[in-house]
This record gives sequence, structure tokens and C-alpha cells, in this order.
Amino acid sequence: MKIVACYNVKGGIGKTATAVNLAYLAAHEGARTLVWDLDPQGAASYYFRIKPKVKKGSKGLLTGKKTLEDVIKGTDYSSLDLIPADFSYRNLDLELDVTKKSDTRIRKLLKPLANAYDYIFLDCPPSISLVSENTLVAADVVVIPTIPTTLSLRTLDQIVDFCKKLNIVRTKLVTFFSMVDNRKKLHKQIIENPPEHVRVLKSYIPYASDVEQMGVHRQPVLVFAKSSRAAKAYQALWEEIKTSIHCG
Amino acid sequence: MKPLHRAQFLLGQNDGSDAVFKLLQQEFILYETDHSLLKRYYLDSFDWRLYQRNYICGWEESVGKSKNNRKGVFFIHDKSTGSNVCELTLNAVPKFSKDITSRVYYQLLNNILGIRALIAVAELTIRRKRLLILNQENKTLAVLQVESYLIQDETDKKRLDDRLNIISIRGYQKVFGRVLDLISEHLKLHQAKRDLLESLLTVTGHESDLKKINVPRKLEYALDTREAVITVLSHMFNIMQINEPGLRSAVDTEFLHDYRVAVRRIRSILGQVKHVFPDNVLAFFKREFSWLGKITTPTRDLDVYLLKFDGHVRELPLELQSDLAIFRVFLERHWKIEHDRMCRMLDSKRYQKIISEWQRVVVNSDILSEVPEIECLQEEGAGAVRPARDVARLRIWRLYKRILKEGESITPQSPDDDLHELRKTCKKFRYLIEFFEDCYAGQSIKKLLKILKRLQDNLGDFQDLCVQIQQLKGFAEQMLQEGLADTKTIMAMGVLVEKLNDRKIAVRSEFAQCFKVFSEIDKESTFADAIRVHHPKRKTS
Repeated sequence: MKIVACYNVKGGIGKTATAVNLAYLAAHEGARTLVWDLDPQGAASYYFRIKPKVKKGSKGLLTGKKTLEDVIKGTDYSSLDLIPADFSYRNLDLELDVTKKSDTRIRKLLKPLANAYDYIFLDCPPSISLVSENTLVAADVVVIPTIPTTLSLRTLDQIVDFCKKLNIVRTKLVTFFSMVDNRKKLHKQIIENPPEHVRVLKSYIPYASDVEQMGVHRQPVLVFAKSSRAAKAYQALWEEIKTSIHCG
Repeated sequence: MKPLHRAQFLLGQNDGSDAVFKLLQQEFILYETDHSLLKRYYLDSFDWRLYQRNYICGWEESVGKSKNNRKGVFFIHDKSTGSNVCELTLNAVPKFSKDITSRVYYQLLNNILGIRALIAVAELTIRRKRLLILNQENKTLAVLQVESYLIQDETDKKRLDDRLNIISIRGYQKVFGRVLDLISEHLKLHQAKRDLLESLLTVTGHESDLKKINVPRKLEYALDTREAVITVLSHMFNIMQINEPGLRSAVDTEFLHDYRVAVRRIRSILGQVKHVFPDNVLAFFKREFSWLGKITTPTRDLDVYLLKFDGHVRELPLELQSDLAIFRVFLERHWKIEHDRMCRMLDSKRYQKIISEWQRVVVNSDILSEVPEIECLQEEGAGAVRPARDVARLRIWRLYKRILKEGESITPQSPDDDLHELRKTCKKFRYLIEFFEDCYAGQSIKKLLKILKRLQDNLGDFQDLCVQIQQLKGFAEQMLQEGLADTKTIMAMGVLVEKLNDRKIAVRSEFAQCFKVFSEIDKESTFADAIRVHHPKRKTS
């Protein structure tokens, strides 16, 4: 089992779209795949048309009244399951804080699923918090979508620093450019001169209406627009990420 | 994780799908998706290994696609629960486990199949209607499939009932339960007790295919030597015949391998029996089975080369690896030539004569009664009516002593041929033990075989390397003559010879230790204990 966390402190930069599309691609290849929608906004659950509701909420999971297996829902796609979001996840930080070994709880919760899934994608909430810390610790690869702008690069630096403080090895961090608008000079410049202190993948996701249309279709972009530029970009991205996962 | 529920109901031979739709519509939002016409091939090894391990594996593709488009769905189902283990979209029907793109399922299949090929063991055409049960958000909560089947040469009697499959979605078990209740209560349908594949095999009269699995032969305790020899030979010949179609069509390399093992075992027995057959008949079979060994050797040697080719390539430094590409082309081309030649030999009158003589002499035992019952296994001076287990025991013992003698005389300076001779003696010994394994009481016979196998593996690896090095040199010359090789290829092959030589030296250095472990059995009397004759308990009246 490999855990892939899609993470950024900023919101609206394509974390959920990345988690959903990459998970779909993994499952389409036959890998047993699970997405955990950790964001109380529940966008991933929405894309999969699954109610953002977990019986007994986050407390139930942390106290052991419910296991993750109890709350898994099958999506409409073969080999692809989801742990839905729940409104109670907004308090997950506080609940984690009162548990023992609070930074490894998520990893511990996922452990029983090790033989059931090949990939687990964590769709993380946009924050620097105990939840983020847990996901970063649990993940084998942390995928950080980044918009090629000055402020987004500054945030990327903050994430790298945050990981350093948590003793998370830098090789685990993988970034790629998201919502790239080729008409913008700054975007082009940053892509041509990517930051060197973190691994930046060659593939990038263009700013495309097809990605926005995911909310209308409530499907991965590869389902309703499989020949689109965005779909091809996600395919290329997945190939690169797979190499990172398996070759380090 | 708990497996997903799946239920199958029999609909009879009239389409009952309308009634199902009408019933469920009262309670659920239904969405009818595509109607499809599919061809389903059930895939398994020729000896049904997946089926035996509780898996049903197959391939589905749309009917009426262009010939170039072989895209389809490969699936594995759990035989007992019917649940889906995997479903993969692939561009062509997988032939070997290595053709499966997903690592997990490759591993699963590879553990069961090894290098055996997947072949189509049954087929049928499916007309499928698919119905989704949705919630208000249009999320699928359960899937229903109504299937009707068309089989080859269908008649009124030879027909499969239509089926209704209900497939649950994880996390929505209540919906699944409710659908099941409604269908059972209102439509009074019966759940299918047998998997579709089993029903298909019954209807088409191929149920016996499942039984052609190679059951290990057990020799009866009281058989006399002649009966035992005939039983073993018949069994080996049967294995040859089972494997012959597979080796001719080159389904996978194991058909030829198993065929050759059976030939070798027959030769081993023929080399040790006396007076079971008339002398002229024995000489005929000895000569002809030796010929069978010879005509199948070139194809087998090339099979081994091709099987090990990727490993050989990896032995080379990265920059030389691509230089061997033309060598593979050469091997494949020669494999084709040798395989065609071998098939021609198997079509020859000479081969047909072996078969017919075998039928006459061994199967029908026509002329065996003419042979005086003096002795059957050489040197033992025992009558053919003496229990086989006793005669074989002596023979096994002598072979064991011979192995010890031959092995002890091997020093680091001994020629390679000495190891080859020892290997042949070990094979004879092994075959004899395996034939009569059930007759001996010693619990340690399995342990003995394990240690023997380790020694045989060492000797086998050594012999393979000797042959490969020798052949590589020959291949290089042949490639030059055929104008196939350039300097780079020949150099790469030279490096490969060096690497194989290094390995040969390493394997040879391991021999002493392997042999030491084997010879220590003697000290512990393990072997003598292992071949103690087993006396079955007599019933007391």
C-alpha cells in the first residue's frame, strides 16, 4: 500500500481535482484504490456523488467505535472506493490533540487497510495543523499542487520548512504546477525556472474549463472528457508520480 | 476487507427481465445503461490450476469489433463467493501472468501459474442488459445484470438458463439486501447454486475437463514387478500424450518440458528392466525413446535460452544490453525452424510406429505373456512376480551407494563430465524413489527428496551453464555465417560467456557443500529408514 497525500496550505489550487483524477487513473489500471476526503468541505465526496457523512463522525473513528472499513463507500468506478468527508472533520485537530501519539493517528488508522488497497489518496484540508502533520507523516509521497505565481512559491517554501521541522524527508515531497495559464508571462517564466530546493515534476495541469466542469458532471475529468488536454495532463502527471512512488 | 456481496438468480430460458424492472421500479430510481453483446472466454492453464485454487478467470470483449482491436476486460472472480477479485481493461487477451499490468494480480496469477500459459478453456456469447439502482444524486447503489447466453451448437437440450446478477456496492449493503428480498419474495426466483462456468461445462458435456487434472499416480501396495513397471510406463506415456498437442501448438514451454521429462522417465525404467519385454522389443523402445529425446532437445534448448534471455541481458553492463537484441531475433528464428522440424518428426511414420507398438505391447499387453517370469529389474535376480517394492528397494539402495561413490570421487580438478554422470545417476535414483514413494514407510523420504533436490539443482544449474557456454560460442559462429551479427553483438556475447563462466565457477564451488549434506544422510541411517517397506495393517476378523 502506498499513501499519496495531496496537500497545500492554500485552497482552490486543484488538490481535490488532483486526488480524484489520479485515484481514478490508478483504479482504471486495476490498482485497488481508496480516496479519503479529509476536507470537511467534502469536495471529493461531491465529485463522487457520495454524501459527506460518516457515522459517529471523526470521534467515532478516533475512539475506535468505528473502523475505516466500516465507513468506506464504493464509487461508481471499479476498484475505486471513498471514505467520505464529514462536517465533524472541522474539529479533527482538537480531537487528534487529545489522543496519544497525536501525529501518527492517521497512519495507525490506515494500517489495517494495508492489504486491501494498493493506493490510498488523502485529500487534505488546506491548513497547517495537526491534521496536515498527520497526513504528511502517514504519506509515502506528498503531492503539492502549486500555481506558478510568486505567492504560491512562497507558500511552497513554507510547506518545505514545515516538513523540515517535522523531520519529513524532502524526497517525499513532489510538486507540480497546477492551473497553468500559458498566456501569462509569469507562469511561463516560473515553469521555465522552477524552484530547485524541491522536486518539481515536468508534467503540469493547464488552467482548463474541463477541470471546472468536474463539478457539473460530478465525475473525474477522464470520464466525461477523456481526450481533453486536462485529461492527458493528468495521465502524464500520474505516470511521473507512479515513478516517484516506486523508484523513490 | 469483507468481500462484496453478489447474488445470481436463475431466470429460466425466457427473458424475465421485464418483471424484474417492473418490480424494482416501484421502489428505486432505475437507469438502464448499455445493452451489450459480449464474447466471454474462460481462461485457465491446461490443467485448471486457477480453478483448483478457487479462482475463475476470463476475458470479455464486444462482439463485432474490428480484428485489430482486441481491447477487452480481464477478470478474476472468487469461485465460492462469486465476488469480483479484479477487473482490468487490457489491449489484448493476456497469455501469461506477465501480461497482467497490475502488480498485485500479476503476483497472484504468477504464484499459481508460474510460466504456464492461460488458454481459453470454455467460451460463450453473452447478451447483457445492465440496470443501475441510483439515489437522488444519481449515485449507483447496486448493479443488476440480466444475461442470456448463447453457446456453440446450441440445441433445446443444450442451453443455459438466463441469469440475473445482483452486485452490491461497498457501503450500500441495505439496498442490496432489499433488492434480494423483493426478488425472492415477489418473483420467487431461485438463486443459482452453481457458477456459470460449471453449468456451461455440464451443458456442453465438458465437465470431465475439470477432472483431467493430473492426479498423482499411486502404486498399489501388492503389485508385482511386471505390473508395477507396466503401470508406471503407461502413466508416463499418458503424460506424453496429454502434453503433445500443447507442445505442437507451443502454448507454453512447459508442455515440451513435461513431455521430455516423461520420455526421460520411460527411458530410465527401460534401462533398468529385464524380461518385462522381449529383448528385441526392449531394444526397439530404448532406441526409439532415445530418438524422441534427441529430436526434442534443440527446441527445448532454445526454449531455455529464450526463457532466460532477459536474465542474461541484465547480466551485461547497461551500455551493452541493447547489443543483444539481434541475438534474440536469431534465437526466435531458430526456435521456429527447430519447432517445425520437431513437429515434422512427430508427424513421421517412425513416431506413429512408436505409438502403435506401445499400444500393442504396453497398453494391450499383447506379447508380455510370452516373456518368461524370471526377473524384471536388473541384477536383483528376482522374479517378475516378486513384489515391486522389494525389488525396487534393492535397486534404490544400489543407486544410492553409486551416487555416494561417484560423488566422493569428484574433486575440484575432476572434469565437468563427471558431474554430468553423477547428475544422470541422481535422476535415475530420484525417478525410482518417486515411482515407489507410496510403498515405503519412512517418514523421512520427503526430507530425503528435499536434500536430493538441492543437490540435483546444483548439478542441473552446472550442466545448464556448461551447455549454454558451449552453445553461445556455436551461436556466435552461426550468426556470423548467417550475416546476422555485427562486432557489437559478438562482443556482447563474449561478455555474456565470461559472466556465465563466472557463474559456472561459483556453482561448481557450491557442489562440495551440497554433496556433503546429501552424503551425511548415510551416517544418520536416515535413508535406510526412509525405504523401509511399509506393511499395511491387516484387518482382524
